[in-house]
Amino acid sequence: MSNSLRPYLAAVRSTLTAALTLENFASQVVERHNKPEIESSTSKEVLLNPLTISRNENERVLIEPSVNSIRLSIKIKQADEIERILCNKFTRFMMQRAESFIVLRRKPVTGYDISFLITNTHTETMLKHKIVDFIIQFMEEVDKEISEMKLSLNARARIVAESYLTAVRSISLLRCLQLKSPQFNT
Amino acid sequence: MSVLAPIICDNGTGYSKIGFAGNSDPSFVYPTAIATRGSANTASRAPAVPAKPGHLASKRGVEDLDFFIGDEALANAKTPGYGVHYPIRHGMIENWDHMERFWEQTIFKYLRAEPEDHYFLLTEPPLNPPENREQTAEIFFESFNIKGLYIAVQAVLALAASWSSNRVTDRTLTGTVIDSGDGVTHVIPCAEGYVIGSAIKHIPIAGRDISQFVLNLMRERGEMATVPPEDQLKVAGKVKENYSYVCQDIVREFRKYDEEPLKYFERYDGEHSVTGRKYSVDVGYERFLAPEIFFNPEVYSSDFLTPLPEIVDDVIQQSPIDVRRGLYKNIVLSGGSTMFQHFGNRLKRDIKQIVDRRLDAGALARGSQLKSSGVEVDVISHKRQRYAVWFGGSLMASLPDFYNFCHTKAQYEEVGPSICRRYQIFGSST
Amino acid sequence: MILLEPHNVIIQQTILEKLQKPTSLDVFFVDYDNVRFHLSTPEKKTILLLSMSIPCWHELEKYGAVEILQREYGTLVLSQPEPEYHVSLQIDLEQVPKDSESQEAFVLSLALLKRNAVAAPFERAFSAQKDLEASGGQGELTQVSYRDQEQIFIQAAQDRVTVIFSTVFQEETDRIFGKVFLQEFVDARRQPSIQNAPQVLYSSRDPPLEIRHVPGLRNSEDIGYVTFVLFPRHFANKTVASAAISHIQLFRDYLHYHIKCSKAYMHSRMRHRVSEFQKVLNRAKTEVATTDRKTVSGRTMVNR
Repeated sequence: MSNSLRPYLAAVRSTLTAALTLENFASQVVERHNKPEIESSTSKEVLLNPLTISRNENERVLIEPSVNSIRLSIKIKQADEIERILCNKFTRFMMQRAESFIVLRRKPVTGYDISFLITNTHTETMLKHKIVDFIIQFMEEVDKEISEMKLSLNARARIVAESYLTAVRSISLLRCLQLKSPQFNT
Repeated sequence: MSVLAPIICDNGTGYSKIGFAGNSDPSFVYPTAIATRGSANTASRAPAVPAKPGHLASKRGVEDLDFFIGDEALANAKTPGYGVHYPIRHGMIENWDHMERFWEQTIFKYLRAEPEDHYFLLTEPPLNPPENREQTAEIFFESFNIKGLYIAVQAVLALAASWSSNRVTDRTLTGTVIDSGDGVTHVIPCAEGYVIGSAIKHIPIAGRDISQFVLNLMRERGEMATVPPEDQLKVAGKVKENYSYVCQDIVREFRKYDEEPLKYFERYDGEHSVTGRKYSVDVGYERFLAPEIFFNPEVYSSDFLTPLPEIVDDVIQQSPIDVRRGLYKNIVLSGGSTMFQHFGNRLKRDIKQIVDRRLDAGALARGSQLKSSGVEVDVISHKRQRYAVWFGGSLMASLPDFYNFCHTKAQYEEVGPSICRRYQIFGSST
Repeated sequence: MILLEPHNVIIQQTILEKLQKPTSLDVFFVDYDNVRFHLSTPEKKTILLLSMSIPCWHELEKYGAVEILQREYGTLVLSQPEPEYHVSLQIDLEQVPKDSESQEAFVLSLALLKRNAVAAPFERAFSAQKDLEASGGQGELTQVSYRDQEQIFIQAAQDRVTVIFSTVFQEETDRIFGKVFLQEFVDARRQPSIQNAPQVLYSSRDPPLEIRHVPGLRNSEDIGYVTFVLFPRHFANKTVASAAISHIQLFRDYLHYHIKCSKAYMHSRMRHRVSEFQKVLNRAKTEVATTDRKTVSGRTMVNR
C-alpha cells in the first residue's frame, strides 16, 4: 500500500463508521412512505452535510449522510483512456448485478464512477463494521484490479503481436535454410 | 438489413446446433463441451498459471485461448493437463466463462464469421430466468459487438419447424411440444407463441435412458459378450438409432418375432475402436422394446411410472380451457429421441383413447343424450424433427420480418441488457 | 487457438462428408469479410457446385484473380458463374482422387478458395517488385476494398512491397483495445527473435504518406492504418510467398478476433472479481436461523 493510500482509506473508514448511525425514519411529507431520505430529499432538516475526502484530483469519495441512509460515491483513478474504459466496463458490469450487491446503487451519482446506498435496514440486518470493511476492501482492490487488467491487456497484445510476426518470420527462416546454396554468395 | 444470413445458435445440454439461416440443416452439430487447461474441477478463472517455457499459449496472459470445443474437446479429454467441462446443465448455462469462450471459438473458428456483420438468433429453454438472457445479451453485444440479437424459446421454434410438414395448413404458434433430447424430455404447451409455464412437465426418460435400456436387454440375452465393454454403450446407441421402431401391440409383436425370428432379427456388425477386431450381435426384441419405455415406463424405471400420453394429456388439461383444443390439435415432436418410426401414430392413438374415454365418462355422468362433437387429436411428425428447434430458428430468421423483431446494438446501448427481458413473438402484428 | 486458419471449415467438412456419401445438398454460408458461399448439387448428387460471392471481386478481377483461380483449380472453374455469385467451381465427386492423402489435399485446396482469390493483388505486387528491382521506381498502387469502409493498399517498390490495411473500430472499447494491440505490433519487432519479421508501422488517424493522395480516405478517430513492409526475403520463393499471403490477408480478422477474445477475458476476470466482492459483502450478513417449515403431512416447502 502506498503512503498516501493508507491515510486516505483510514479517513474514509472513520468517516463512514461515524456516518453509519442510522435509524428508521418515516417520511415527514408523504404518509406511509419510508424512503431513503438522501435519495428522496423531501425534507431538508434530516440531511446532513455532505463530505468529500480527496486523495488527489482524480480520486475522491463523497459521503452524503442523512437520518436513515447514507450515500457513498467513489471516483476511481483513471490515468489514461485504457484505464478509463476498463473502469467504465468494470463498474457497469458490477452495477448490472446490483441486485445481489444489496448496498450498491444502480447508477452512480454524477461526477463519480460508482455509488453505494446504505439504509437503516442494511445496518440493522448486517454487521455495520463488515459493511465498512466491504467498502474499504472494494476501494483497495478496484484500483489493483484495473491496473492488473491493463497489464494483462498489454501482455496479451504483446503475445498476440509476437505470435503473428513469429509466424511470418518462421517463413523467412525457412527461406534462409533453403538458400544455403552457392547462389547465396553471388 | 445485412446481406449476410443471420446465425442460428441452438446450444443444448448435450449438443450445440449451429448454422446459418435459410439452410435446412445446421452446419455444425457438436457436443457443448469445452476442454480447458487445468483439471475439470478447478475454479472458473484460476489465477495465472505459471508459464511453461517454449509453448506460446502457456505464456502468461493468453492461457484462456488454450482450449478446444466440441468434438475436439472430447478428443483432447485424455491429453494430460486438459479437463472437459459442460457449460450447460439442464438446458441452462451454468458457467458463463466457459460459454463465452465456447461461443468465441464457434464464431471465429467454425463459422468464420465476423460477428459485427451478423444478426444472431439464440435459443433458451422454457422458464429460463431473465437474468440469463441479460447475461447472454451482455456477452453478445459487448464482447462480440453483434448487429442484433433475438433469443427465442426452443419450444416455440419447434412449433415453427412443424410448418414445414405438409399436414400443417394454418401457421399457428399454438400447440404442445414434446421435446426429447439426450438428457430429459419436456412436454411444453404454447399458446400463440407464449409458453404456458405453469403446465410444463418434465419426464426423466430420454435418449440416454433408451440406450441404457437397450444395453440392459442385450446384456440379459448375452449378446454383448462379444462386444468390448467400452464399446457396449455405443453399440446400444447405434442399435437404437438404426433398428428401433414403435409397435402398435407388444404381445403381437413378440409372437411375430418368435414365429419368424429370421425375418425380424437383424444383425449389427461392429469393429473394436482400438484393436479393429470385428464383432457382430443379433438385434431382436429391443427393436420395438426400446421406444416402449415412453409408453410403458415400468419396463425400465421403477420410480417414474406415468406413460408419455398420459403426461401429455395432463399437461393439456392443466392449461387454460380456451386453448386446449388447439393444444390437442397440434402436438409437435422435436428432438432425436422422437425419431422412432410410427412414434407419432402410437402417441396419437393413445392420447385419443384417453380423451375419448374421458368424453364418454362425462356423457355417462351427465346422463344426457347430448353427445360431444369430439376433440381432434393430431400428432405431427415431420422430416426436420431431429434438429427441429434449429430448423425453426432458420425458418424464422430467413423471414424479412426477422430484423424488425431483433434488438439491435443501438437499442442495447440505449437501454442496457434489460432490453432482452422482452422479445416480440414472431408473427405478432404489434 | 491463437492464429486463425486460412481455410474454410464448412467447405472442408461438407465436401469430405459428401465424398463418403454423396447426397443432394443446398447450403449457404459465409466467410470473413462479407464473403458468401453457396454449395449445391443442381444436377446430380455427385456433382457439387461451389459458388463464391466476394464484394471486391471487380477489383480482384482487375488484378488477375481469374488467372490465379484457373491456375489453382484448372478446369473446375466454370466460365459462367452462378447468378449472383462471382466464381463457381464444379466438382465431380467421382473424379476426385481416391487415396485419402491426395483427397484431403484436394479438399483443402477447395477450402482455400477465398484465400486464393484475394491472393491475386499480392502475387501481382510480388512479381512487380521483381521487375522493378532492375529498373527502379514505384509500382502501381493497388487498392482492394475488402469491406465496406476498409481497404487494403498494396504497392511494390524497388526493394520492398508495402501493404497497408485500413480498419474501422465500431466501438469505443474496440478502438482503445485496438490501439494497444497495434502499438504492440510495432513494438514487438524490437525483440531480437523476430527482428526479421516484416516491419510494421501504425497510425491511428491520418493515412500514411504512401496513400495520402488517394481520394475518399477517412481520417476520423475510429480508423486505424497499419503498414506492413515486406522485403524480398518474405516472398522469395513460392512456398514462402504463399504462406506470407495467407497470413497477411487474415490480419484484420486476426486483430479483431483478439480484441474480442480480450474482451471475453476481461469479462471472466470481472466475473471472478465480482464474485469475490460478493463473498466479502456476504460476510456482513448476520446469520438468520432458518427453520424448516413443514406442512401437516410432513412435506417441506420449497421455494421454486
